[in-house]
Amino acid sequence: MKTTENALQVRSLIKYFHDPQTFQVIKNISFDVKKGEFLSIIGKSGSGKSTLLYVLSTMDTDYEGSLEFNGERLTGKTQNQLAAFRNEHIGFVFQFHYLLPEFSTLQNVMLPALKLGKLSSEEIEHHAYENLRLLDLEDQSLKKANKLSGGQQQRVAIARALINNPSVIMGDEPTGNLDSKNSLAVQDIFRNLAREFGQTIICVTHDNDFARNTDRTIEMADGLILK
Amino acid sequence: MKQSKIKKPTVNRQIAWTHLNSKPGQTLVALLGVTFGVSMYIFMNSFMNGVNQAQDDLAFSTLAHIRIYNDDDKRSYNPAESFFDAGTLLNIRNKKSLQYTDGIKNTSQVISIIEKQPEVTGITPQLNFSVFFRSGSKKINGSISGVEPASENQLFGIGSKVIAGSWNKLDVQKSGIILGKLLAEKLNVGLNDNVNVLNSDGVSKNYTVVGIVETSVKEIDKSRAYLNIATARQFQGKNFDYSSDIQVNLRDRDQTASLVSQLKSAIPYQVESWQTANQQLLAASQLRSIIAIAVSLTILLVAGFGIYNIMNMTINEKIREIAILKAMGFSGGDILSIFLAQAAVIGVVGGITGVLLGMGISAAVNQVPFKVAGLTTLPITYNPADFVSAIVFGIATTLFAGYLPARKASKIDPVVIIRG
Repeated sequence: MKTTENALQVRSLIKYFHDPQTFQVIKNISFDVKKGEFLSIIGKSGSGKSTLLYVLSTMDTDYEGSLEFNGERLTGKTQNQLAAFRNEHIGFVFQFHYLLPEFSTLQNVMLPALKLGKLSSEEIEHHAYENLRLLDLEDQSLKKANKLSGGQQQRVAIARALINNPSVIMGDEPTGNLDSKNSLAVQDIFRNLAREFGQTIICVTHDNDFARNTDRTIEMADGLILK
Repeated sequence: MKQSKIKKPTVNRQIAWTHLNSKPGQTLVALLGVTFGVSMYIFMNSFMNGVNQAQDDLAFSTLAHIRIYNDDDKRSYNPAESFFDAGTLLNIRNKKSLQYTDGIKNTSQVISIIEKQPEVTGITPQLNFSVFFRSGSKKINGSISGVEPASENQLFGIGSKVIAGSWNKLDVQKSGIILGKLLAEKLNVGLNDNVNVLNSDGVSKNYTVVGIVETSVKEIDKSRAYLNIATARQFQGKNFDYSSDIQVNLRDRDQTASLVSQLKSAIPYQVESWQTANQQLLAASQLRSIIAIAVSLTILLVAGFGIYNIMNMTINEKIREIAILKAMGFSGGDILSIFLAQAAVIGVVGGITGVLLGMGISAAVNQVPFKVAGLTTLPITYNPADFVSAIVFGIATTLFAGYLPARKASKIDPVVIIRG
């Protein structure tokens, strides 16, 4: 694992909100994320940390500056190109678990891979089962997603984020809606993924314990990086 | 890359299918909307076709597509003016009129001209005139149609409307007469009775009743009688090639205009199409078609609004799922196709069940008794074009109703939804 190589490169990033008034949320920040790095972004609410994450996620394209993934410039690509890129390279874990409630656990995990379409559905199912086993959810695989507990749903979301072997996993307060026991479990999973599988992870959090357990922490305030 | 092209639609379809199945009640309501719209479209059109058909059958049982007759024109020629200088004071009293032309004297020649037209399917000459029918001291005024029995039957199918005796008797028994049903009742005569006929020239003759006919057109049933045209010519003192009208039927009765203009230049008589003679028939059938189309399209439109509402609701409910699908890498086009696929399934299934239901309703209505003017039940006529257009309209309405919300879904910005 070449840890010196950059997974993600942000240069001179500026972002405005226009509603209700024009307001500069992110004020010219630049930083790199190395491959295999477990990075947390912390800050008070309104500091711009979540806004930064959505720019990094490629879903928000209304910014100035440039964003590169594995040396590939993403700034200026079309929505459809970015959607295809996200599908292959980015896994998401959100605060609210956002599973598709009408689908089974297994189907939820398989969806991004079916969308990518690089493997046959049998292979994808096999991978999905492996991921579920890794997260100790094997016996829940055929349950409807909305029948699971919050902690289980969040683990399913992580399994789903992993299914396409993404370059980066992005978490927006992944433990924000969980009780402390489940929160610890999710933190453990992330740490394991980073240590054992060399998975690059970027998490926005306001949980200082969580941040302390990551390789590096970026603290934001008023649209700037403090350290 | 090739593989991904094949896989993508399958995932989208799988998601669409799961959506349809997860809310069976809502799907059913949307389906019923289309089913009802399409079935009403088919029923309304089949019913209107039936009514038009029945109306036409009735009208064309006595009306030919083209009628040729000799109309003695108004003449302004005054011989006195050419004999005296202009300015001479003339006093003419009790001016007498001269009948210059009367009827068609060269019937067979005219028929041979018409026969050459390829679109003509039937020709029959008639000799029509007014008479008094007498039975005992009873005197009823009416009219006689002198006809060639075979060709008259070919044009108007009158043979099947004879309720007593037989139409062909006219051919065999030259002194036979066939009376309208109400006329016979009024004269109080039956088969093989004699009836006396008196024409405007004062000629009177007895004929034997060989048939009673019921056309369902009351005006005709109470005043019309049929003779063989040869007998009629003899009675009227006309030559063997004389007729008052020549009736012509065409393959397509809506295409009379070109033949009328062609015949007008070749024949020195009046040539009149049924459209000019009976504009009310044309107007009535066209107005009925417009009403049928307006009503059924309105029903489809209402069904379309229903689908639009349901799809809109579905999309509002699933807005977070749509956002997460987009975050996972589904493009706007994928979202569009997921929701359009749902609309398409509703449209196709609703269209098919609508056709079946429409046929069922039509068949049921066709059994409802309706004994007026020769009908026994409410008339229904199936027209394949209506079925095709019902399905096409049904699917098009559904797709359009589904497209608007689906497009809205495809444009959802996941950041706005996920950040809340």
